[in-house]
Amino acid sequence: MPSYLFHTLNISRQDILSHMVDLDVTSSNLANVNTAGYKATRSNFQEMLNEQLKEGTLMSSTQMLTMQGTLKTSSSALDWAIQGEGYFSLTLPDGTIGYTRDGRFALDADRNLVNANGYPLVWDGEIAEGMTNINITANGTITAVDAEGATVEAGTVQLTRFPNPSGLTDNGSNILLESDVSGAALAGDPGSENFGTISGYKIENSNVDLGQELTRLIALQRNLTMSLKAFQQTDTMISEAINLRKA
Amino acid sequence: MIKGLYSAVSAMVMNATRQQVLSHNISNVQTPGFKQILTTATGFMQDQAAYSNGNLQASPIEYVGNMGLGTQIGQEFVDYGQGAMQNTGNPLDFALQGNGFFTVKTPDGNRYTRDGRFLRDADNTLVTVDGFQVLDDGGQPIELPDGEVSVSLEGILSVNGTEVATLGIGIFDDPEAELQHTEGNLFTGPAASTGEGVTQVVQGYLESSNANVSQLMTQLVEVGRSYEAAQKLVQNQDELLGRTIASLGRIG
Repeated sequence: MPSYLFHTLNISRQDILSHMVDLDVTSSNLANVNTAGYKATRSNFQEMLNEQLKEGTLMSSTQMLTMQGTLKTSSSALDWAIQGEGYFSLTLPDGTIGYTRDGRFALDADRNLVNANGYPLVWDGEIAEGMTNINITANGTITAVDAEGATVEAGTVQLTRFPNPSGLTDNGSNILLESDVSGAALAGDPGSENFGTISGYKIENSNVDLGQELTRLIALQRNLTMSLKAFQQTDTMISEAINLRKA
Repeated sequence: MIKGLYSAVSAMVMNATRQQVLSHNISNVQTPGFKQILTTATGFMQDQAAYSNGNLQASPIEYVGNMGLGTQIGQEFVDYGQGAMQNTGNPLDFALQGNGFFTVKTPDGNRYTRDGRFLRDADNTLVTVDGFQVLDDGGQPIELPDGEVSVSLEGILSVNGTEVATLGIGIFDDPEAELQHTEGNLFTGPAASTGEGVTQVVQGYLESSNANVSQLMTQLVEVGRSYEAAQKLVQNQDELLGRTIASLGRIG
């Protein structure tokens, strides 16, 4: 088996670069520890070995972990949280549909339900002039009090699921897009089979576990130090080989 | 003396190989299911050591014993020891407790792995993070209906409480002899289990790499110093050789 010290140097170099990417992933998780509906991402390292030629590690993918976040109570009736599987659908400015777990909506000047970016929620119905006290039921029915003071049904919201939600493409601003990896979107009523339910006056917390991320950060730092030590030692060995002949 | 030079160099070559394996293990400290690679060193061939008092006619060359001609890297072993269990909470992360392996299908044939990072792909098939299909006990890919996946300790997969498939777990009596480590985190082996034993599947956990950090760092120091010592020996031999040539060649 051939062993080239320069190849060994490359194993450590690759390792150090992987740690740099992992640092970005962990930083992003830590930055979003308070972002409603945010899902943590993890780095997937994989061994690289090709016919006995050891090539160290590769950060083969990043994976969104779609576990449920805890719900916290809010004072706004238009703060909706999903408990279970599913995403809210938003119409993005370019007309495509984006998906989010962040259900903090507001009524804009045109009486559209919009998210924090002003992107309208895709739903069936409308909030007519004069309607107040908008509420949502667990199965997605939106009710409101009309100008005469009667409680009326304003429409319904559907949720969307994906076979592989961890494969959705991140579009920034906590909005995800359908991809080949995620599989085709499946729409359904909240509370129906395999779909989550919606709760009003609730916000889904980020599922980032601060303790776990900080532990990862420490482990990352230690592993990086170890890789650097291996790198430095290989470098010393190369230098010793070069200086084999004295003077 | 020339023999000594090569002996010392052989130690440098051997330690360079050990350094490579160590760097490989170090870089996979964070790879779930990774099994560390162990190296061995063996003696290179031996030669007869002979002595002569200089007068070959009076006393012939005398055999005084054997002399090693250096060292070489021996066989590599995979340490199949259990890695620590790490809680992830992700329902499609599975860890194995015991000596079994998951069976996965790669383009080059079926392989075994301890890496339980699985996903449901766009077609609802259970796959690894590298996209290889996870196989059931009948060697078939696993289709998951819509719903919540759970797995029992025996490896029975259920969706919304209905049994769907049993994970194909390969158990080998002698993994060192029966499995080959030819691709990243995958092992090639016999088509079916050759052993028996209890292997439990634990959901929401991953098996950490079994590369032992303190052992790795100790070995790193050892390799570095051995290499340095061998390099010094080469230099000494070189110096001695130089002096021999210079002084033996001087007349008067």
